[in-house]
Amino acid sequence: MYVLSPVTDRVAAIREKYRTAKPSICTARYRIVTNFYREHPQLQGILKRAKNFRNICQKLPVLVNPGEVIVGWQATRYRACALYPEISFGWFLDELTAGTIPKRDTDPYDISEEDTRYLLETGDYWRKECLSAKVDEYIPPGYFAAAGSGVTYFGTTGTCSSPTGHFVANFETALRRGFGAIRAEAEEKMRDLEGRMYGTGAERYNFYRAVTIVCDGMITLARRYAEECARQAALEMDPARKTELLEMADSLGWIMANPCRSFHDAIQCMFLYQVGLCLDAQQHGISFGRVDQYLGPFYEADLAAGRITAAKAQELLDLFYLKVAEMNKIWPYFATLSGPGYTSGQLMTLGGVTRDGRDATNPVSYMMLQAAGRLLLHDPPQSLRIHKGTPPELWDAAIETTRIAGGVPTFENDDVIIPALMARGLPLASARNYCLIGCVEPQGCGDEWACPGGNGTESFFNLLGAFLLAINDGHNPMPGPDGRRGGRVGLPTGYLYEMETFDEVLDAVKRQIEYFVGWHVSLVNTWEMLASEHMQLPLLSATIDGCMESGRDVMKGGARHNSTGNAAIAIGNIADSLAVVKRLVYDERSVTARELYDAVMADWEGHEELHQRILGEAPHYGNDDPDADRFARWATDIYGDAINAATGPRGRWAAGLFPVTAHVLFGMSTAASPDGRKAGTPLSDGISPVQQMDRAGPTATLRSVSVIDQKKFSNGTLLNMRFHPTALASESGKGKLIALIRTYFALGGMEMQFNIVGADTLRRAQEAPEDYRDLVVRIAGFSAYFVELYRASQDDIIRRTELHL
Amino acid sequence: MERELTGKVYDIQGFSIQDGPGIRTTVFFKGCPLCCPWCHSPESQAFAPQLAWMAVRCIGIETCGRCLPVCPRGALSPGDLTRNAASGEEIRLVRIDRSSCDACGACTRACYPKALEICGTDYTLEKLLARVLRDRPFYEHSGGGVTVSGGEPLYQPEFVLRFLEKLKEQGIHTALDTTGHVPADVVERALAHTDLFLYDLKQMDGAVHRAATGVSNERILDNARLIAGRGGKMQVRVPVIPDFNDSDAAIREIGVFCLSLGAAVEVVQLLPYHNLGVVKYQRIENRGKVLEAVPPSEARMRTLVALLEGLGLRATLH
Repeated sequence: MYVLSPVTDRVAAIREKYRTAKPSICTARYRIVTNFYREHPQLQGILKRAKNFRNICQKLPVLVNPGEVIVGWQATRYRACALYPEISFGWFLDELTAGTIPKRDTDPYDISEEDTRYLLETGDYWRKECLSAKVDEYIPPGYFAAAGSGVTYFGTTGTCSSPTGHFVANFETALRRGFGAIRAEAEEKMRDLEGRMYGTGAERYNFYRAVTIVCDGMITLARRYAEECARQAALEMDPARKTELLEMADSLGWIMANPCRSFHDAIQCMFLYQVGLCLDAQQHGISFGRVDQYLGPFYEADLAAGRITAAKAQELLDLFYLKVAEMNKIWPYFATLSGPGYTSGQLMTLGGVTRDGRDATNPVSYMMLQAAGRLLLHDPPQSLRIHKGTPPELWDAAIETTRIAGGVPTFENDDVIIPALMARGLPLASARNYCLIGCVEPQGCGDEWACPGGNGTESFFNLLGAFLLAINDGHNPMPGPDGRRGGRVGLPTGYLYEMETFDEVLDAVKRQIEYFVGWHVSLVNTWEMLASEHMQLPLLSATIDGCMESGRDVMKGGARHNSTGNAAIAIGNIADSLAVVKRLVYDERSVTARELYDAVMADWEGHEELHQRILGEAPHYGNDDPDADRFARWATDIYGDAINAATGPRGRWAAGLFPVTAHVLFGMSTAASPDGRKAGTPLSDGISPVQQMDRAGPTATLRSVSVIDQKKFSNGTLLNMRFHPTALASESGKGKLIALIRTYFALGGMEMQFNIVGADTLRRAQEAPEDYRDLVVRIAGFSAYFVELYRASQDDIIRRTELHL
Repeated sequence: MERELTGKVYDIQGFSIQDGPGIRTTVFFKGCPLCCPWCHSPESQAFAPQLAWMAVRCIGIETCGRCLPVCPRGALSPGDLTRNAASGEEIRLVRIDRSSCDACGACTRACYPKALEICGTDYTLEKLLARVLRDRPFYEHSGGGVTVSGGEPLYQPEFVLRFLEKLKEQGIHTALDTTGHVPADVVERALAHTDLFLYDLKQMDGAVHRAATGVSNERILDNARLIAGRGGKMQVRVPVIPDFNDSDAAIREIGVFCLSLGAAVEVVQLLPYHNLGVVKYQRIENRGKVLEAVPPSEARMRTLVALLEGLGLRATLH
């Protein structure tokens, strides 16, 4: 039986500090970047980004807090976030002017009066300089007719309010080679090119030059931390801490320039590189990849040589996790609604198979679960890769962890994901080495640029929105950007009551989905065109396989493998809506199309009988009823095929089916639908059935969701299930949950995650949040402290059907 | 043409994990020769279909009321005012005149919120098999199977025995949850198709048994011996009921009997009385006796488990 060992006093103290410190905004990075940009208008493209990064590394104050062993930070205060004005800043200035930032109902941040004044005085510069403003200028005019569709997230301004993000660096390269060696390689490439820059040589030369600059930046940052540790050591009275600070100084002085020597070096290097990536690119779903695979060999070597104990190593890992948890980033308020709870999506992957197909579990895999279980952190999220040879002990540890630490880890199916990645072009060894990014997005670990978050925006696609336009002649019943209701935003496909056969309905829905996939892809590709000029990522490209060979940044297609991700939502709602229309209007003919249309447009007001009939009698996806389930398959096939056939500047697109909490956010702006859903209420979550419409138990639900061809969705699928804690009270209950996951995976399921918490507990936590400060719940690909969520998101979790084992 | 064989089922529960090994699908058959006042499924007792009424689902006759005019016997009328839990609005529920109701089901077809439902559906063998076989992947990955429960499933012997036989032909693990109060030849026939008996033992004193359940325990004990003698496997289930069998002596006597059955008894499971059945009695407005008592404490249950373990049995709290 799996047991948790207690944390050390030091870890407990830092964790308490973490849970009591209110996040705040720090302007240090903003000030450095603003001055740099203003002073260097002559610099453009990758060189500007590289020098901007090195300048940050030279100037950002270093912060070594009491008790810390793993260091590196983005701000000047504990749990403060940095600002990234070069990506998008209009939204921030607007919220700052409105004074809402410290008072929001989700993810508030403190900010000082002096900083507020400074930002308001200097911020206007960024309104035109930021990437988002540039993208806005390039929106194809034709899109203005389609904005406000409710199908895509894009409006007509601020279309890029979220950043570059959702990636994983090649940490193996950073740890095993170091930036000294990478710098030397880049210099050699430059020497080869000097005086011989034919063809694209100048561009490649410039890339290598940028790489040498960011390598200098990374090494500089580490050395400055080393100096700070040495400075503190000189002042330290406690001999134990003094020794520790000297060891830290030694490690920081060595890593980055050189290959890591020890477990401590490796963790420090990994974290500081991550801090560097966040300081450069804006923190947003920047993931860690296969942490157990990087760290395992270092740990085992140290252990064999007697350089470390298991307890000491676990404490180091705990301290590392606390640093990751501490990191956050302020988002626009509306984007926060789709990813609440101060999550930064720095996902870690464990388990799975090695490149040659063997079980990859090592002692660090267990240490990662131990850290999640005993620290009860909302971040970092963790994903466990499951394959046929996953050891029973790892299963046991994972189930126990998910019970304690709300939904950590998620369970990922190697048997589906590896072939799905191969179908999008990864060779077998690379596909076997996949990791998860952000929430649930599979990607080659260190050799792929997959932009699973859609490359710079909230890349969600609302299938129900497309359905509603299809039955309403392309008009959105909800208010558009101009506040007007009923504007024509989609194709003129006619009204439901004009469609004589159900095939006409299907055809209209298909056309709307494909039409908006086309626009969605167009806008993201437009974004990429600009981002690849202004926001290249040389610090990332320095380690990603393929970039050094090709002399091109990841944003320019330099990575060995490329794709662009997307995610559809409202699968349950569109399936149920199609099933209702078919059964009632075209098969039974018990309701006229006009009656149903009128009821939907009236948000069911005055049509209560029909509303009840649909909720009670119509087929609903999730109950192993082919009459509804077939439409989940149909709609996801249409969407998936259209996305997978799309291309971007670097290669093909990849479809996914996951919502984060976009289903709540999009639900707010989605009209009533024939499945009985009322306007403004949440859409269905991930590939789950509509909330509380799964009435036939979990086995039926799992069979239904398996109807979807999940291999088609290499950008990830997400299935949330909530169990009452009594379900896992016994050893046999845990065994049966494992069997449930295994069966779902054998049926073709890709991913599964759990909340093991009763609705009773969640309601009590709403009443008395102070008593439930540490209650961690699963949202989507990440977890959050329940009491830190906004009410609608809390209610959505409570409404997810609760299962008893 | 001969009428096709059907079984009367009141529930099918997928992902059933308390009724035998692995993930199982449990089919609950309607009708039982016993009438235990602690029964947690009172709707299982009568063989005939019954109208079940779940007040919390009713949205009120003001907005709906579709059930009232469709009843051919006029058994439904406006009832009490109550506050709807979801909306907080005051709504008027329906009242059922049970003496007029013949469970024809007309009102259930009109009731979209499913506040009115008929308890007891006829299944053909083919239909029931098709339903439980859909869960086959879950059985295979968990070492599970199908559990046949009730009521007393063997009170529909022709259907249930054929059903078990068909399951075995499909290679499905079968468990049979039985009171044991059935003719010996039926048990004998069931043995061939049953991998595991979930066998209820309630009380060794025949008079006490009869007073509470309406039947004596002789047949039950004989059948238990029969199963043991033929190499059947059993999980013995003992509901621990206040003032009926919750004394050390009563549980010890059951334990001693289980010991006499030898290796057939894999485990004795003690099920503490709970009063969740009470709400189900309200649904069908069963006028029979209902036990409302204080459930035994967990400590008391642990003592009884230890008592059985002391006899050398494997015992669990279920």
